[in-house]
Amino acid sequence: MDVSGILEEHKSRFRPVQVERLIPVEHDLGCLASFDINLLDAGRLRDEGKARERYLKELSREGVQLLANELFSAPTVVDEDSVYAELPKRTTVLPREKPVPKEKPMTRWEKFAKTKGIQTHKKGAMVFDEARGEWRPRFGFKGVNNDDQKPWLIEVPQNADQYQDQYQVRRDEKRARIDKNARRQQRNAEEAAAKSLGLKNPYSMRKRDLQSALVLSKGSTASMGKFDAKLEGEPRVKGLRKKRPALVAADGAEKARSMEILGRVAKGDSSATVLNVRKAQRAMNNSNKSSSSSQAKPKANPRSSGNKRKSRA
Amino acid sequence: MLVKPKAKNARAKRFLVAREAKVVENPKTAIIVRGSSTSQVILDTLKDLYALHKPHAINFTKKNQIHPFDDETGIEFFSRKNDSSLFAIGMHSKKRPHNLILGRTFDYHLLDMIELGVEKCVPIKDVGNPTCAIGARPLMVFNGETFAQDERMILLKSLLLDFFRGEDSDRVSLKGLEHVITVTAGPAGPNGEPGLVFLRTYTIDLKKSGVRQPRVELTEMGPSLDLRIRRVRYPADDMWKQAIRMPKELKEPKVKNITRDGLGDKYGRVHLGKQDISKLQTRKVKALRKRLDSRPAKKQRTE
Repeated sequence: MDVSGILEEHKSRFRPVQVERLIPVEHDLGCLASFDINLLDAGRLRDEGKARERYLKELSREGVQLLANELFSAPTVVDEDSVYAELPKRTTVLPREKPVPKEKPMTRWEKFAKTKGIQTHKKGAMVFDEARGEWRPRFGFKGVNNDDQKPWLIEVPQNADQYQDQYQVRRDEKRARIDKNARRQQRNAEEAAAKSLGLKNPYSMRKRDLQSALVLSKGSTASMGKFDAKLEGEPRVKGLRKKRPALVAADGAEKARSMEILGRVAKGDSSATVLNVRKAQRAMNNSNKSSSSSQAKPKANPRSSGNKRKSRA
Repeated sequence: MLVKPKAKNARAKRFLVAREAKVVENPKTAIIVRGSSTSQVILDTLKDLYALHKPHAINFTKKNQIHPFDDETGIEFFSRKNDSSLFAIGMHSKKRPHNLILGRTFDYHLLDMIELGVEKCVPIKDVGNPTCAIGARPLMVFNGETFAQDERMILLKSLLLDFFRGEDSDRVSLKGLEHVITVTAGPAGPNGEPGLVFLRTYTIDLKKSGVRQPRVELTEMGPSLDLRIRRVRYPADDMWKQAIRMPKELKEPKVKNITRDGLGDKYGRVHLGKQDISKLQTRKVKALRKRLDSRPAKKQRTE
């Protein structure tokens, strides 16, 4: 029996889904994209008007048809409401938003558990309390872990001081457990931080921090810590210098600086007095203490001596 | 001590966790930024870009003095504040009329961007046809060989793909194929510079075809943009390398000894242990029989 006529007729009722392309079109179904590198009709694309729009639409239709053919031939899953096509992994390389997360360093317990082969399993957050006949949290507010804290009666242990408050004893024990855990957590955090910095242990990290703090603190004296008492094992820092404004400055900065000082002097601004009162006072004190030399020192102006600070050692 | 600051309450903790680097990332958020001076064309373009990107986009409707090609700190600041990694900035000046900058950041630092002149924009509202649902994933079709050859066009392709791809998923609803964004490279200029890029958006009708694959028909939806590439900023090599790194968890485990060739044929390599030659059974020849030959000789002597 010849069915070609029937098939032809059935076919002619629908418009075709096939698209001719010289170079096969590349698809990346993972991001629902297709890349067609066939030669385009430059003449129709140059035409500004309906012809270009028509060509673009035609081109797009064919592209989408090819992509749809690909998608509708992919394996499907039927979910409650719709038919889904399963997509392969994306092949186009696109950058991430943020770097790949770093692996968290293991805590001491995790390391230990690994060497011993201890498998941890999740405990549920709630526990059934048989006595009360209800579910209660394992920890925290109204948790079963607080049950030992407030019984209405506590037996005094055999060797214990009978006047000791047993409630206080339990509170203290619990507090000690919490504190110990907090210290352990802190230690784990410090060790993790040291490891992430590429240091051996928290000790070397602390040492490094201390040294940088020491260098920073030197900036608080005018001599950049040149005359400070040296600490034991203090590192020698090179290139630590006080920053002074350049004597010869460009674009009128030098003039501006001089004019500012002159202006303050001319105004009679007390902060610009030529005599540095504090310095003078210190010099006086020193000369009194030593009493070896009795050179004439400039006398402090008692009116403007608002400095409560004693001279620095 | 250099220990990370801890969130003081659950809300702050959720906030910090949401911003952390993840193995499987959330869809990228785009910020749509209005420059200090804009034209109607640019405003329409930005509005439609926002509409296409919607659930994962933040629209900046106030004017912003921002020029990422001169100073990238501004856009990096916005990126950090909004936890976004894609941006579109629209501005208009005499020197660069109807200017649209598309770009992306990696770890809140500028990765790459491209500056486009919008020579024509037909916005969604002017087309007036029914539009796709908010958040629907578009199909993307790139036409033209320059998208595989020209550096600038490759970057544009990558940026547009990143902009519109939406959420990564391992399946797609076949009923949910609502719209398509097609990008066609126009003929190149006389000096080989890339020509106009035609970005068109259509809604898709799937018609019966008598076979499993439906017949596709398109209706214009908008926006339709004619774009010309201006300045380009390529990603720095080391940053790009960092950005395309795949987490260990997502890499497919290596299957040993099985290979496939280009035709899809599967080859297996079979390893046998070292053969014990001493137990090898060779041809049985009388001359090679040691013991059997020597024994009868002894017997003969004793007899």
